[in-house]
Amino acid sequence: MKQIIGWVRGPWAIAVYTYREGIRKRTLIGFLILSLLVIFGSSFISAFLDPTSRTDIELKLIKDICVATISIFGALITVFTSASVVPNEIENKVIYSILTKPIRRWQYLLGKFLGAQLIIIVNLALMGILFFAALYIRQGILPTLLLWALLLTYFEFLILSAFTFAISTAATSPVLPTIGGLFVYITGNLTEYLKDVQNRAGQTGKWLDDMLGRIAGILYDVLPNLQNFSLRNQIVNGMPNDPPTDVMIPNLMAYGLIWAVGGFLLAWLIFWRKEL
Amino acid sequence: MRSRYGRLVLAVAFVLVAALGAWQGRRVTRLREAEAFYRWMLAAAVDERLFQDTSSEYLDRELLETCNRLAAAAPETAQLEADQAAMPITALAKNLKNDEAIWSLVRGAALAPARGQFLDAARRGKLQFARSIGYLEAQEGNVGIFSLFFGFRKVAANWLWIQVDRYWHRGDLFRMVALMKTCVLLDPNFIEAYQIGAWHMAYNATAKMADTPWALREWDERYQACVGEKERYYYFAIDFLKDGIRKNPRNYKLYFDLGFAIYKQKMNDYANAVKYLSEAVRLPHDRWVPRQLYICMELNGQYEEAIRGWEEYQKRFPESELTKEVAPRFIRSNQGKLLEKQWEDALKKAEAARDTAEYPALKAEADRLFQQALDHWKAMGEDGDVRRMRLEALKLRGEKRWFEAVALLDKARWDAPDQWEDFSDLIIQIKQEGGIPLSLSERKAVERKKDEGRCKGMPEDASTRTS
Repeated sequence: MKQIIGWVRGPWAIAVYTYREGIRKRTLIGFLILSLLVIFGSSFISAFLDPTSRTDIELKLIKDICVATISIFGALITVFTSASVVPNEIENKVIYSILTKPIRRWQYLLGKFLGAQLIIIVNLALMGILFFAALYIRQGILPTLLLWALLLTYFEFLILSAFTFAISTAATSPVLPTIGGLFVYITGNLTEYLKDVQNRAGQTGKWLDDMLGRIAGILYDVLPNLQNFSLRNQIVNGMPNDPPTDVMIPNLMAYGLIWAVGGFLLAWLIFWRKEL
Repeated sequence: MRSRYGRLVLAVAFVLVAALGAWQGRRVTRLREAEAFYRWMLAAAVDERLFQDTSSEYLDRELLETCNRLAAAAPETAQLEADQAAMPITALAKNLKNDEAIWSLVRGAALAPARGQFLDAARRGKLQFARSIGYLEAQEGNVGIFSLFFGFRKVAANWLWIQVDRYWHRGDLFRMVALMKTCVLLDPNFIEAYQIGAWHMAYNATAKMADTPWALREWDERYQACVGEKERYYYFAIDFLKDGIRKNPRNYKLYFDLGFAIYKQKMNDYANAVKYLSEAVRLPHDRWVPRQLYICMELNGQYEEAIRGWEEYQKRFPESELTKEVAPRFIRSNQGKLLEKQWEDALKKAEAARDTAEYPALKAEADRLFQQALDHWKAMGEDGDVRRMRLEALKLRGEKRWFEAVALLDKARWDAPDQWEDFSDLIIQIKQEGGIPLSLSERKAVERKKDEGRCKGMPEDASTRTS
């Protein structure tokens, strides 16, 4: 038991320290302020609309803008955080003083990864609270469905964070992992195209065409598909003809967790014997 | 050595987790396919039940038939009654409460073959009602809207909507229509876009147009109606709302707008108004929806149903001001009209049996009903005055006291402008029966009525709405 506590204590101390350090970063604060401004500003979107027509459009606009803002700024915060937690320490040489302590590399990585998650969760929660308040003021009822949407958004960010983190363990500066993270986000959202490529392949009858289709099919099955999390838009807008989400949400959470473990294992694999 | 094996173990662990991720991804994909299947099924079922607008170049109807056939053997449909068992999906989709059962069906083994056919047909672009389902759009890949806005298409739809609002204030109605259609293409669940779009088409675009004279209208094969420029806009609005209903079959607002705003208010087609308002009340709705349904029932001559509806409304909302003040008035009005209808039926029956021994008894029964209706309107006081005058005018007509009948109806029509046209028609009939010369405007009305209901290109055996 003591050994387990010992294994956990080290990573947790690193996580807390990473969080304290990361939350003060100007770039992240900048993104957060911008996102909060957009979420706050969405409440005044009615200024663009005809004041005489009383419809539910305002509420819809607020919901859609806030969900998009949280997705965009949340993804940026996730990428910048996950891309910088390890390379920054390599750049400013802090990593040497940490790794000389009785702590294993996987514990260090786990601490850094958990620290990044704390930063992401706190930022997401801040954006979510403002969104929650904007909806509550407008509707007068607690928008509890929003919590499920935020939860799904976090699990999407978890996958993004894990793979950006994995790339960052191979780099010595945050620039490459940041670009890599954005690439993961974009391609993760465009995975559906691979299915389209697979469906269209084989029309010419040439082996290359056929093979491209097969490769696209395999990639579609293997690569994480971030569009699966688009369910959050459906939850927030809650149409009566939506299918029950009780099956989808746990499956998506499991999907996010599995790929997060995969990303962390990849990071560990890269960092295992990395020359520092 | 330890390091080398450790790396290998880690690599194997990564591959295993990636495989697990791919497996879980497949599970999620299956669920998304089931969700797309479910959405298509609701759309196809609502089309089959209400519109039957399926184009023959698509496979929707064929596939729905297959689904119905396969579902008939599934345990979820075992409790259905015999008349519903043949078309279980169509029957289940009628009720919002059955959505759980449909969701269970689309994921179950019974419909697995149909699910495969559905995905294949959707990928080939052969399903009319699968076009707006996000997951399938991506599979079909024709337009790529799904990816074009990178998952933020709802925001794009919102910005377009703000542009629509701007065009509306500028008076660019024709630019608006295209943008509104783009809005709902980007966000098929944008209910307000369907509602306001249909309102613009049926009301604002036609505000300055006069009703097209019947002689200038043309037969439209698609709508099975005689349409001119103005009327065409009504049908555009209907199409727009029907499209919205297929994509959002569980939203009462679209049924309500179709039934009330278009069919009742614009086209005076009360049968269709009742049809769609009845659908709206089946779903979670606001209080004014059943009220409009009962009013349309009255206008459509369904007095008994309207009375039952108002009584039910009183039970549901006993404390409402409407229950206390308005509902009793509507109930009394419907009861009076029901008595009138019974009198008219009895009179027709008596006239048919004029030369038989039954005639005196039938005539007496008709007279009794007439007196009952008259007493009813009298008892209603001011609220029943117009109908009382109408009945008294009809009695005078029966006694061949033409001038008195016309004078009474003329007074009645000034008291009830909403029934002006009905009373004017009755005045013309009485004048013609009594050989009283018609006024110029009445002669024009008679000429107009001659053309009514027929137009250029209309098949001989076709019938059309006369509004």
